[in-house]
Amino acid sequence: MSLRVKYQTILSQLAPAGAVGASLALGAAAPAVASEPPTGDQPSAVDKEKVSERLAAVRDAVTALDQTRTDAAKAEGRLAWGNWGWGGGGGWGWPNWNNWHNWRNWGNWFRNW
Amino acid sequence: MPQIQLLVVQPTPFCNIDCRYCYLADRTNKSVVAGETLHNLFTQVFASGWADQGLSVVWHAGEPLVLPIAFYRDAFAMIERLRPAGLSVKHSFQTNGTLIDDAWCAFIAEAEIAVGVSIDGPRHLHDRNRVTRSGRGTFDKTIEGIRRLRTHGVPFHVISVLTAESLAVPQEMFEFYLAEDIEHVCFNVEESEGEHRSESFARAGIENAYYDFLSEFWRLSAMHPGRIQYIREIDDAQRNVLRPRDAGFTNQLATPFAITSMDWTGNIATFSPELLGLKSERYDNFVLGNINRDRLVELAERPLLKRMQTDIDAGIALCRERCEYFSVCGGGEPVNKLFENGSFATAETTYCRITKMRATDLVLDRLENVSNLVEGGKAPPPFANPPPVM
Repeated sequence: MSLRVKYQTILSQLAPAGAVGASLALGAAAPAVASEPPTGDQPSAVDKEKVSERLAAVRDAVTALDQTRTDAAKAEGRLAWGNWGWGGGGGWGWPNWNNWHNWRNWGNWFRNW
Repeated sequence: MPQIQLLVVQPTPFCNIDCRYCYLADRTNKSVVAGETLHNLFTQVFASGWADQGLSVVWHAGEPLVLPIAFYRDAFAMIERLRPAGLSVKHSFQTNGTLIDDAWCAFIAEAEIAVGVSIDGPRHLHDRNRVTRSGRGTFDKTIEGIRRLRTHGVPFHVISVLTAESLAVPQEMFEFYLAEDIEHVCFNVEESEGEHRSESFARAGIENAYYDFLSEFWRLSAMHPGRIQYIREIDDAQRNVLRPRDAGFTNQLATPFAITSMDWTGNIATFSPELLGLKSERYDNFVLGNINRDRLVELAERPLLKRMQTDIDAGIALCRERCEYFSVCGGGEPVNKLFENGSFATAETTYCRITKMRATDLVLDRLENVSNLVEGGKAPPPFANPPPVM
């Protein structure tokens, strides 16, 4: 199975939960046990394939999934992404402008007002 | 044409406390920015066309709340008079929280100011570094400010600086935020900037400690859904990794004027905000010009800017060539390259290994874990029925 297909399989199952649900699922998928101290011997993706290839495969999978969902949404006459995107506002066009570390993404922050 | 997305204004360099890791050298100086300087800044910013997509203003680089509320009332009213119709301007404070009282809460709510409070966790961790000039801890005052914000229903987030000590106790940190009903959390690491040399960076195993901290904090958060609603480092890492192929990615810290900073005298700098106030012979202390003497739009043509940009671009080119994580980082943080490696024209830093690489590894590893769970049939997809919000 190619990396893209593998990630597409994972993401297609995460997507229905939306960004919050998917984040909870990923957060809960930790190998560590709460009562044990952190060890630093976590399974690392770095050990298997090159990180750049993994990251590219994830983006390919998101793109493919996006297309699938867009097609399905068009067929059903609804918006594609709903609450899935991490874009904080519904889109993926996230400008990386919260990367000063004394700062946070005020754009997302203000949605809470 | 440059686009200012974030305008950092130093209303005063003074800070009423004396954190051990602070990079601001001038924090005993009680000078205050002149009204005329603010007028010149906002007149020029609005006239430049560099902020026509909206402007976020953060009052920082000193403790903003040491100035009276009347200072900000006057400043905001003046900015409002100058603001072009239809342009959104949002104000923000990054504060140590020690001076927040009922009057500040009322003003913050009335002016819809976004507030970030710096608190490093429970008392014994916070008071290690966030101290007064006489060396006393500031935890009591800071937590009082946070509780007051909460009482008034004022939304806020916290920024916690992680040290080797706090990295070792994610559960204690998590329980602290829960106990104080803190819902929006950002983590910084104690880093080397200016005259400060990070003790945490020097510790063996700091990168794994950061990974383990984030991993456990994320797991605990997932086990208590709805309590911690935003963990900047986790949210950012997910957003960077889980994006489509053609999604844009800009390194704001390496884009001229995307972040524009002005100190209390009117000096203007760009790229990493921490640069303003730091010393450098090679880069003329990073000062491009002064808003009281120079035209903002002409600063984009200054030889100093070209020199800095050339070196920053050379560093980014090295990152692009060498780094497996370039697609989720965009070339790192100029200030960390300069103070860790001695030059903008360099690549990897301890800061980026910790905050960018390990956070990205964490998201990739979690995807792997989910895949293993599903393939092994050992557990139902945990995401099919997310736990109810508490």
